[in-house]
Amino acid sequence: MNKTNQGSSKLALSNYVFRPEFSSLLILIVMFAITAILQENFFTIKSIVRNINAFAPLILLSMGAAVVIISGGIDLSAGAALSLFTCVLTTVMKKSDPITGIYALLITFAVAILVGVVNGIGIGYLRIPPVIVTFATSYIWLGIGLFLRPTPGGESVAWFRIFYNPGMVEGISPHIEQFGRVIPPALILILIACFIWFIVSKTKTGRYIYAVGSNNDSAYASGINTAKVQMQACIINSIFIFLAALFFVGQNQSGDARMGDPLTLRAIASAIVGGVALSGGKGSVYFALVGALILNLVNKIIFFANISTAYQTLVSGLIVIIAIAAPVAYTLYSKE
Amino acid sequence: MVVLEAIGIKKHFGGVIALSNANLRCYQGRITGLLGANGSGKSTMSKIICGIYQADGGEIKYKGKVVKYRSPSEARKDGIAMVFQNLSLVADLTVWQNIVLGAEESNGMFLDDDSAKELSQKILAQLLPDLDINKKVSQLNPGEMQIVEIAKAVSRNPQLLILDEPTAALEQAQVRNLFSYMRTLAKEGVAMIFTSHRLWEVMEICDDVTIFRNGENVASIDFEKEGKDPDKIIGYITGDVQKKRVEGKRERIVGETVLSVKSLNYGRSLKNVSFDLKQGEILGIGGLAGQGQIELMHALAGAFHNVRCDVELRGKKIKLNRPLNAIKEGVVFVPGDKQLEGLFLKHSVLFNIIFPKTSLPHPLFIPYEEYRKECEEIVDVLSIKAPTVDVPVETLSGGNQQKVVVGKWLPFDINVLLLADPAKGIDIGAKRDLYQYIVERVQKNNMSVILYASDSEELIEYCDRVLIMYEGQIVANLEGEDINEDTIIACSMRVR
Repeated sequence: MNKTNQGSSKLALSNYVFRPEFSSLLILIVMFAITAILQENFFTIKSIVRNINAFAPLILLSMGAAVVIISGGIDLSAGAALSLFTCVLTTVMKKSDPITGIYALLITFAVAILVGVVNGIGIGYLRIPPVIVTFATSYIWLGIGLFLRPTPGGESVAWFRIFYNPGMVEGISPHIEQFGRVIPPALILILIACFIWFIVSKTKTGRYIYAVGSNNDSAYASGINTAKVQMQACIINSIFIFLAALFFVGQNQSGDARMGDPLTLRAIASAIVGGVALSGGKGSVYFALVGALILNLVNKIIFFANISTAYQTLVSGLIVIIAIAAPVAYTLYSKE
Repeated sequence: MVVLEAIGIKKHFGGVIALSNANLRCYQGRITGLLGANGSGKSTMSKIICGIYQADGGEIKYKGKVVKYRSPSEARKDGIAMVFQNLSLVADLTVWQNIVLGAEESNGMFLDDDSAKELSQKILAQLLPDLDINKKVSQLNPGEMQIVEIAKAVSRNPQLLILDEPTAALEQAQVRNLFSYMRTLAKEGVAMIFTSHRLWEVMEICDDVTIFRNGENVASIDFEKEGKDPDKIIGYITGDVQKKRVEGKRERIVGETVLSVKSLNYGRSLKNVSFDLKQGEILGIGGLAGQGQIELMHALAGAFHNVRCDVELRGKKIKLNRPLNAIKEGVVFVPGDKQLEGLFLKHSVLFNIIFPKTSLPHPLFIPYEEYRKECEEIVDVLSIKAPTVDVPVETLSGGNQQKVVVGKWLPFDINVLLLADPAKGIDIGAKRDLYQYIVERVQKNNMSVILYASDSEELIEYCDRVLIMYEGQIVANLEGEDINEDTIIACSMRVR
């Protein structure tokens, strides 16, 4: 950046090129290109819808992880919370009684808020390191989940399919069915999450999440209730996880106390690949979505590239390392 | 009218007594100076008034009512704002976001960014008109940060404004802007508490002054009634022990060239910097704040891995791409921003002082007992005020922390000592001790020193030669009689 284009125009390309998130966008474009070459029908509507469905849970969890990390915390209980929500949903619902679906939605939403509050109390008010708090609560969520659903299963009302594929719900209007074929419910859930964050980012809470994550002491000295802000971040995260749980139960019609476990670290990694700084205060929640796409595409590429299954895990690890290292190297060298 | 009255305030941190029996009084529309040596309790007093610390004893009356604030936000609701010495800014937010942080106006549910920007612009117009309010605070230099901090405190329309060493990071023009702004505020009826280590500033801006020593207030002087007598004030600050000013300048011994720097370039901040440093010389680097002086010091210390230059130390080419390379060659850096670069705050004085040794060859097990003795000597030499060498550095006062940063390099065999504003935030007595020690070392061991100081008085008093920097280049090389306040300022501002 030289003096002539500094601050001259808000649209100046350099304003964007020099942001650390930019490199993750580049990586994503490259990955899209590779996937499109490897997979012939990648750009058909059917394939796109299938991919959105496959990617949705990680995308929602990574956005939640981004909010918590930006606020200076970290959530190791996200996967367990997701599992717990599916267990609560399928326990409250009775297949024979459609109205129980509504009860399940309300009760699980309340549980989601409670989960956020508990993590928030530990991190914000008791000042226990976030890693410890959420590591501990992950076992609490798992324990409650196993109590409700010792084995995977449970019941779901038929109309819950609307969160997965409206076409599978009996007696739905053909318009909605048509719409659902092009715009899958998973995408709508992601857009709801984006909208929630859009609203929050325009309020004090959104500003304070960045301030607290960037420098807790300075924020406190500025008169901000830092504990409350950290709790709010945990609650937003929990709501995003709740949205993911709706999708899961819509898809599988059952609950499972352990299904979310592998997603926890993947969600955190997605946020980091998307340019969110693990130290807090920096990054964009929307770019966590980019990170989640990258992580998902890695698996697709490996699958389509016919790499022997013995090496798949190794290769995916290497690609993730590159994706994480790239933004760091990029910012280092763009600063000269 | 008395706005604030603090009576018999007591405060201790662990075993360290910060305030034993302190009193303070502030009046509407008047600026009260707060003076004292490092660790005399000025900062602690300020922080108790604005609710960051809670007093262990005594009472505070604000507008006639006894108050006990448990947090800064409670004090702020009552109209008490503080400009922090350790800035309360958030690096990842922009200037205007920081100015309104914690006091944002809302349009219904959403933040009202337009009025926030307008307010920020309005306040900064009087303090630093050129500043772009959309910059992130992490991109500002320390002086600009300090001004944003001041703007932030003022934006809350305080009735009592506490300024804790606001001028330490500022250059003279900025100080003048600040002073005229403070006078405007005083006319509007704001009471102010002002602390600074620069005596002339206190004498210029304050209406009365209260002097602290060892956690007690030893005197209050009303300048209108009793006049301004610097000697009397210094007497109160230092106590009975009157230290003499260093008499005259030491004799200049110029040896052969030790360090030769040719065409040093670093990004946009350093352009083609070349100079020679002689044996036994104290070379000053001056100029306005933020003209590349700090970057030059960092570059010489090996902090930038991609700096381009030719550097020879005693005729031998050396690489300056890693701090360890520089340290091995005896090029040692004492940073000005002790909290960011110089210290492990949560660790003990001992740990900090012996730490540099651990990066050099040493026995398998660190000989702690031997090092402890050495450490205690250093603590003694620099008169670091700490109960034992085992207390965490963060419990010490700002000035004493700075001495620890300097102290940790003292046992080394130093060829070139790089000092970046080493006396920032140190009181007059300690500053003199520190420089006297360095001058002695220079004479005894033939060490050479490069000194960057934002206070030109230090350059004038101790340097054999002064280089003035402007926009990353060296624009003047002053020697002998030319090293005086007028010439330095003239060259810094490119008038000459």
